[in-house]
Amino acid sequence: MREPFDAVIVGSGAGGGMTALVLASKGLRVLMLEAGRHYDPYAETPMFTPNRDAPLRGIGTPDKEFGYFDATADGGWEIPGEPYRSASGSEFMWWRSRMLGGRTNHWARNSFRMGPYDFKPHTRDGFGVDWPVSYDDVAPWYDKTETIAGVYGSNDGLENHPDSSPGVLHKPPAPRVGELYIQAACRDLGIPCVPARRAVLTRPIDNRSACFYATGCGRGCSIGAAFQTTTSLLPMALQTGNLTIVTDAMVYEVRVNDKGRAEGVGYVDRKTGKHEAAFGRSVVLAASAGETARILLNSKSPGFPNGVANSSGQVGRNLMDTVGAAMRAQFPLLENRPTYNEDGAMGLHLYIPFWLYKEQARGELDFPRSYHYELGADGRTEPDMGMGGIAGFAGSYGKQLKQDMRRYYGSFLSFVCRGEMIPNAGSYCEIDPDTKDKWGIPTLRFHFKWSEHELNMVRHFQSATKEIIERMGGRLQSGDEPPKQVISKGGEIIHEVGTTRMGDDPETSVTNQYGQTWDVKNLFITDGGVFASKAHKNPTLTIMALAWRSSDYLAEQLGKRSL
Amino acid sequence: MTDNNGSLRVDRRTTIKWLAATMAAAYTGCSSDDRYLGDEIPARNGASRLGIAADHDGIAYGGDPDRMNPVVPWARTMTEAQLRTTAAFCDIILPEDERSPAASTVGVPDFIDEWVSAPYLQQQQDRASILPGLEWLEQQARERFGSSFASATEQQKTEVVDAIAGSSAARAELADKAEFFRRFRYLAVGAFYTTETGIEDIGYIGNVPLSGEYPGPSEEAMTHLAGVLKRLGLPLPA
Repeated sequence: MREPFDAVIVGSGAGGGMTALVLASKGLRVLMLEAGRHYDPYAETPMFTPNRDAPLRGIGTPDKEFGYFDATADGGWEIPGEPYRSASGSEFMWWRSRMLGGRTNHWARNSFRMGPYDFKPHTRDGFGVDWPVSYDDVAPWYDKTETIAGVYGSNDGLENHPDSSPGVLHKPPAPRVGELYIQAACRDLGIPCVPARRAVLTRPIDNRSACFYATGCGRGCSIGAAFQTTTSLLPMALQTGNLTIVTDAMVYEVRVNDKGRAEGVGYVDRKTGKHEAAFGRSVVLAASAGETARILLNSKSPGFPNGVANSSGQVGRNLMDTVGAAMRAQFPLLENRPTYNEDGAMGLHLYIPFWLYKEQARGELDFPRSYHYELGADGRTEPDMGMGGIAGFAGSYGKQLKQDMRRYYGSFLSFVCRGEMIPNAGSYCEIDPDTKDKWGIPTLRFHFKWSEHELNMVRHFQSATKEIIERMGGRLQSGDEPPKQVISKGGEIIHEVGTTRMGDDPETSVTNQYGQTWDVKNLFITDGGVFASKAHKNPTLTIMALAWRSSDYLAEQLGKRSL
Repeated sequence: MTDNNGSLRVDRRTTIKWLAATMAAAYTGCSSDDRYLGDEIPARNGASRLGIAADHDGIAYGGDPDRMNPVVPWARTMTEAQLRTTAAFCDIILPEDERSPAASTVGVPDFIDEWVSAPYLQQQQDRASILPGLEWLEQQARERFGSSFASATEQQKTEVVDAIAGSSAARAELADKAEFFRRFRYLAVGAFYTTETGIEDIGYIGNVPLSGEYPGPSEEAMTHLAGVLKRLGLPLPA
């Protein structure tokens, strides 16, 4: 494909989608290569279809791990013909999507801003590294990203949880019974419980409708209320006439010429198995933290014996995921409660942000970083096979069971920990010397370890949660085992970041603050790989804000012909 | 591994690989049974009163099924006699009452057949427990009452089920049958409460588009919550 592209972008998810829109809007000619198939959310989203219409009532199977109706096409923890491995002693899970829009088609839409402490963690506690940017540097792009994506929430003036500029946020939906119940107990205990922030519209934007409070966001959203690039950034970018999208194009290398400049990428056409190439004045990798690292490490040449942009040796290192844990409880006072439509925005309305920064700064906690709670809206949600769990709780059968089901349905709530991991030397990915994918491209091997920092955080979460449950008069059902047993597996929360981190020093980082690789001036990275730390806040919003900021810089450099 | 219907066939090696993935994903609500369970089911050994279920055909729906027009691509495998026992057992677990009909009237037995006929490992594990479990129910009814389980009286059926229902009821030698009971109940309840009938019974009233803002809890629900909080000495959040 020898066309005069200004940029070749690899990936169509949060980072790639934003990069494409920013560059195409500035009149640059953009080629986007997506490894997966074309996907049309307007035609392919099973809105409202009840679970009973799907095989096995829609439960997860090895074919569709998040359930039959999950938006993910041709993806999941395992993809036939595209293996990866965990090194011995490690267990890492890698969720990949092979579809236009990538994982944005099914994500939870939780969109929390990183705060001032999150960008300078080393300064605050001496662990990890600082980012080359501060919160104030990124704040304008957060406002712009929230405006274009559409995020509901409120400004609560909380420490390290920045407010958005006036008028940016959409009005959050009214809290439901379970959330109000938790909020009441939290207020009594001095714990904040405030409106969550999710990329779900509660007022229309352009041709995207406001949420109509039904049918799970994980299926995708054909009315465009729940943000995904396939109903927003990509159609907008295509409208400029400057974007060409090629799907089923599995990029495996960045081609660098003898002057050390990227001239394009090599890819496999997944439909034909043929090797192809695409060329441009710049290359932007947004293939996901794992896939981008794999592409760089597989791009070996005499000038780059350890892979492109890897003179620091940091490509693949500093792999992080969110710390996950969960506790569930049953609340006798919620039994037999009145019914009402509790679907809401099909996700968090309220959440608990981290509230102990002052105690932490005084050295009163045994973990240096923070976490937040996502509150399980498993109240009176649409019945699925999980109803069987209520029967197990009741322990009865016959007419008694039917009465018990009515009594207990809607009396369970769950508390989910989402915490920050500190990068460690034992967590990284590398090229597996023994395994290749079905096209012969070397694949990844993951190493992953939690440290005491994360385990102590989980222990704190458990004790705080028990306090909340006790104040609510609840009965703990699960999640109180030792932290090592309840902590999520690496990658399981699907927030993997850090493998091509940005920094101020070419010796210890892969890119500068604009995602521009130190080694190859016209090669940029705009996915989660550039994260220098992994705040407890879900990464997608920050990926998009940074992608926008980096793309502004890239466009400026292309305009000056300085690459 | 795609057959001419476009569905995927799952060989045993794939199934074993999936077991690892299933364990890794740690599904909630699924019992993790790490015994190896293949195509051979224990019911094949010894006398069979309910007949032998057909082998599952191994047809899976694959990683990119048509979500707009869902179909179950694999064939059902249970015998008529197994389905009769299944229906009777379903109705002992979820009988008719003043609010909703018995489970067998809304397709729950057919769902159990769909489940145990699926090619995936979790379902094949359940198959290896459920088919012998049904056989055990039948055997008990024959030995104790000289009738099939399906045609036994309510009281007789309850007597058989009581031996395996509840943790205290199950004697050690019936531990696997107690697990069969719990798993069967899990599936029957999930199947029942996902039907229109079950949803109406349980009182779920969502999955409908609303115009305007989400209204939040009804007045009745708020009054109830205020009462709950009052009992705990907590004010209702403003």
